[in-house]
Amino acid sequence: MNNHRARCLILSCGNTLREDDGVGPWLSLWAESRFAGHDGVVILARHQWTPDLAADLAEAETAVFIDCSIDAAPGEVRLESVEAAASDEALGTHHMGAAELLALAKDLYSSLPRRSLMLTIGAGSMELGEQFSPTVQAALPEACRRLAEAVEGLLASA
Amino acid sequence: MSQTITIDPVTRLEGHGKITLHLDDKGQVADAQFHVTQVRGFERFSEGRPFYEMPALMARICGICPVSHLIASAKACEAIMSVRIPHTAAQLRRMLNLAQMVQSHALSFFYLSSPDLLLGMESDPKTRNLFGVVAARPELGRAGVSLRRFGQHIIELLGDKRIHPGWIVPGGVTEPLSSAKRDEILAMIPKAYDDIKLALSWYKQVADTFKQEAAVYANFPSMFLGLINEDESVEFTDGALRMIDADGTIVEDGITASRFPEVIGEAVEPYSYTKFAYYKPAGYPEGSYRVGPLARLNIAKTMGTPLADKELIEFKQLSSGPVQSSFYYHYARLVDILYGIEKIEHILTDDKILDKHVRAMAGVNRLEGTGQAEAPRGTLHHHYKVDDDGKIVWANLVIATGQNNDAMNKGVLQAARHYVKNGKFSEGVLNRIEAVIRTFDPCLSCSTHAFGQMPLAVTLLSVDGEVVDRIIR
Repeated sequence: MNNHRARCLILSCGNTLREDDGVGPWLSLWAESRFAGHDGVVILARHQWTPDLAADLAEAETAVFIDCSIDAAPGEVRLESVEAAASDEALGTHHMGAAELLALAKDLYSSLPRRSLMLTIGAGSMELGEQFSPTVQAALPEACRRLAEAVEGLLASA
Repeated sequence: MSQTITIDPVTRLEGHGKITLHLDDKGQVADAQFHVTQVRGFERFSEGRPFYEMPALMARICGICPVSHLIASAKACEAIMSVRIPHTAAQLRRMLNLAQMVQSHALSFFYLSSPDLLLGMESDPKTRNLFGVVAARPELGRAGVSLRRFGQHIIELLGDKRIHPGWIVPGGVTEPLSSAKRDEILAMIPKAYDDIKLALSWYKQVADTFKQEAAVYANFPSMFLGLINEDESVEFTDGALRMIDADGTIVEDGITASRFPEVIGEAVEPYSYTKFAYYKPAGYPEGSYRVGPLARLNIAKTMGTPLADKELIEFKQLSSGPVQSSFYYHYARLVDILYGIEKIEHILTDDKILDKHVRAMAGVNRLEGTGQAEAPRGTLHHHYKVDDDGKIVWANLVIATGQNNDAMNKGVLQAARHYVKNGKFSEGVLNRIEAVIRTFDPCLSCSTHAFGQMPLAVTLLSVDGEVVDRIIR
């Protein structure tokens, strides 16, 4: 439902009532301020990624996904390329990740961002609460820096 | 030796539940139970809160139908305030409720149930999901995504966010509609018509191949309850409730929110945290009834919009009286969507829709209030009592899923008896039993809604509790 094609779509997910799970939405808010005035940057924060987001992805030139990670060490910031999941993989719609969303965009609209990145921050705690764990709190400056560099890099490569 | 089959969790539902099938010595299904295994507690932890906080609190019950809770709650608060909200506010609320219905029905039909309808009830579970639908009929997948976005975007435009919008408050809504937002919504309408027409056309092509399912998917006589206007047209937000019996005779009419507690009771069973609503004069369980899309279309004489009215005529040709098979909830859901799009378009042409007066203000003028609305999956009722300071001292919520609870249990038993023979079953048979529940589109966990392929464990227990067999998918 965006009126213009996003040059860079920032798509985060997480629950702000579950401590470090809320780091994605927090970074989205930070990005709204950091990229205010950039018409080409579209930012969407969701509790979880749902199939309808495939339409937004299909319209985007590039994308940055943001989520916390339980695979990385608490506070560890990673930025990696992400590709559409293979169509022969058993895909579900319950735990829809970035690769599955890209696959859905490809299957539904035959369109994908030309480059997609995944920014993850290792979660230390996901108990009930609106505060980040100390390790994730300490990692926020690096996460912001990596996000800004990623978005600026994608915009520059357009 | 008698056995028990457990389906835990039931997949592709809003929330988490499980099914237990009890087999007799000959391996035939003797009994079935649908368990809702979560405890929510909203009625208790709202005690002590100011009544005007209730809509925002109650919206958190559900991530898929928060607007219905907002509306029923705001109405209960307005009964406490003794205010009548401005016409424009009532119309805007109606539009928001319809937008929510469209997106919720789109999720239920396209994301959760169309895999069964398109790919087959016993097809490969690895592809029996939205991705399988997209691979087989991408235009159907695109229509589902588009209709869901249509509803969500209206909610976001009016309520500022897609989930838990805070725009509806006791007394009306917080801000009027702008002409820019009105025009943006109107611009989306033609595509929404195309999408629902495609879905209806496809459904009618495949419906006849599911006659066996229609015969045993919760197909039995029952009463039906739903909101209706004075002209007997479908209503989602105002009006009053009507209850009809299995022959279509009106049992009770003009049930306002304040009369609801006189008419509807709630029973408790030890195997589920969801209550069982029933029609009090008939007692429990004889007084069980169904709500939701099937009930709405069975009760209404007209949809009140031209395109949906044509569909209603066709729908009513399924039976000489009320349509009894819950399989046809799917069809009714699509007619609901068509009605919702037409009604939203109609509301936006109301010459007062941009009026700035959208909120009435008042304090506590009564110590008790009730409110009701149609959620996508059926009638929703909120009932509050407050002290002189307006703090909640008691709250009771009667949700659609509780009102369909007895019918869901009976439906599971009916389907299980048909498909499970001599203690033997396959994954496909278990999916059929789950599909009975899906026709009702119950909302079990509400605010923690989930969808898609979840782990399913089936355990066969001997009468002594010994695990005989176990299947995990």
